[in-house]
Amino acid sequence: MYDETVAVVENRSLTGGHFVLSLHSPRQARATRPGQFAMVRLLGRSDVLLRRPMSIYNVVPASTPDRAPVVVQLLYKVVGRGTRLMAELRPGDRVGLLAPLGHGFFEEEYFHRAAAADEILHVAGGIGIAALLLPARQLEAAGCRQRLFFGGRTQDDLVGVDDFAPSVGEVVLATEDGSRGNRGYVTKPLGEYLAGHRGKKFLMMVCGPWAMLEASVKLAKQYGHACLVSMENRMGCGLGACLGCSIHVNGTGHGSYERVCTEGPVFWAEKVVWEESPPKS
Amino acid sequence: MQKDEGQDPKDKRQSTEFCPSLETKIAGVDFANPVLTASGTFGYGQEFADLVDLNQLGGIVVKGISAEPMAGNPSPRIYESRFGMLNAIGLQNVGARRFLEEKLPFLRTLRTRCIVNVFGYSTEDYVRAIDILNGGDGIDAYELNISCPNTRCGGMVYGSDLKLTEEVVAASKRAARFPLFVKLSPNVTDITAFARAAEAAGADALSLVNTFVGMAIDIESRTPRISNVTAGLSGPAIKPVALRMVYQCARAVTIPVIGMGGIETAEDALEYLIAGARAIQIGTANFYAPDTALKVIEGIRDYCRSKRLQLSQVVGSLRVPNEPVSPSAEEPLRTTVGG
Repeated sequence: MYDETVAVVENRSLTGGHFVLSLHSPRQARATRPGQFAMVRLLGRSDVLLRRPMSIYNVVPASTPDRAPVVVQLLYKVVGRGTRLMAELRPGDRVGLLAPLGHGFFEEEYFHRAAAADEILHVAGGIGIAALLLPARQLEAAGCRQRLFFGGRTQDDLVGVDDFAPSVGEVVLATEDGSRGNRGYVTKPLGEYLAGHRGKKFLMMVCGPWAMLEASVKLAKQYGHACLVSMENRMGCGLGACLGCSIHVNGTGHGSYERVCTEGPVFWAEKVVWEESPPKS
Repeated sequence: MQKDEGQDPKDKRQSTEFCPSLETKIAGVDFANPVLTASGTFGYGQEFADLVDLNQLGGIVVKGISAEPMAGNPSPRIYESRFGMLNAIGLQNVGARRFLEEKLPFLRTLRTRCIVNVFGYSTEDYVRAIDILNGGDGIDAYELNISCPNTRCGGMVYGSDLKLTEEVVAASKRAARFPLFVKLSPNVTDITAFARAAEAAGADALSLVNTFVGMAIDIESRTPRISNVTAGLSGPAIKPVALRMVYQCARAVTIPVIGMGGIETAEDALEYLIAGARAIQIGTANFYAPDTALKVIEGIRDYCRSKRLQLSQVVGSLRVPNEPVSPSAEEPLRTTVGG
């Protein structure tokens, strides 16, 4: 983990108020493992104090001959004051970047489970897609069969499908307004797929809003599949000090709470206490 | 001393350059410099080891410890407000025994002073935590957190009741093997009354202030932004009010005062020192700029060097018109400016 001041290479606008922020930071790009996150600080703004936690969407090399990654990419959606200011960033501007943080998807145990599965099912809701691209790329390299279920409110929320598509065999889309893919929640086609493939062994990897996580986890339990969730919560520091991002978990740890930033952001689904009211972002 | 003609010009410059001492002493504890990290904002130190040279800090005040482990409050626990943040963590901590076993051994490897913030839900609870912590080697002082809810007295708060303040400070002082700092709540009408009460009950020093009770509302869902409804406000937003309270308390008591509230820069810290704080704590800034404490130390050193003052001459050196010398100054300010 490094705390650096880095330059904006590009801040590309996508549909629905989504952006991909590219930051030049070779050390942090090289150190990143799939599923980790970054804390972004807007410099010189005392009215926006705290850093904003964001999944590391991708790490990319500067040019094709040299394959070593030097750029950290963050996919974000404008939802509040901090992200509104982030949207104004231009190439050459500088931001504070604390990264990479947290436990990613592929701790030893997870990887064995992935390798043993018949298929990996990525389940993304909206901006949750940002946590899943790097894991999908790594699993592709490991030769895993993969499928993406991706839901949003409208077609404008389904960003990054083109980045994802080459790594997965199938992409299943859903929008609440029916503007693209299946109409309704993404957990509907997911449930149908699970019902139609009893006897298969899946590993589900889920990231998205609380209600979607809860519904996906319920399906995983119902059909007996292993399920990893990448959790979100408000964070003060990302370092495990403020205890602001703690979520209620089963078993011990820091009492019955664990820190999304340090023990997470990726948890086994059965670890999380889902009955509690959702954390707000 | 013998004159050395062959001296390196660099050495000569160093020997003539004024080198201020930043050392400060509080309740018999020597600090290499007056910059500490505040309780609840710096974990148990180790969380920041990759980012900050912990040995450069004057001291680390660890996250509040209770006799038994505490789980804390449900999410959401924090919310950013303009120029500040609200938190209602609920004092989640590993408990006194696990602190001694798991956290203190690392802190003991540092040169930095280790101050353990202690809290409880009754006077007996505070004493029980202190009894356990007394067994820990490498603790330099306690910081008694008296601004948490006291369920025993129907939601009253220790830090906002003079009698309870005296009771818990006196009982804790009797139990404590190490010097006792008392951290005051700002959520009172006259904080100097609590400063005097703590001093009278045996406090060795005062830390102030804790967070200001506030709240924020999501107007879309019409629900509180924090699960606990109310929460403590910290950050730059509180600095002027906290500074005023430190100034008032430093004049009201003879024991040392440690100041905090919204410090982001050396200039902020110097205001507190000039107001009478013998040391300061960095809090919320640790979250978004972990190098703040080190930058503040350097900035204080630069200030002392350029003014040719020792730190002890800066402390309490506020010059108020018609008031020749602030009563809390350790020694008269040697200066030719103004008269």
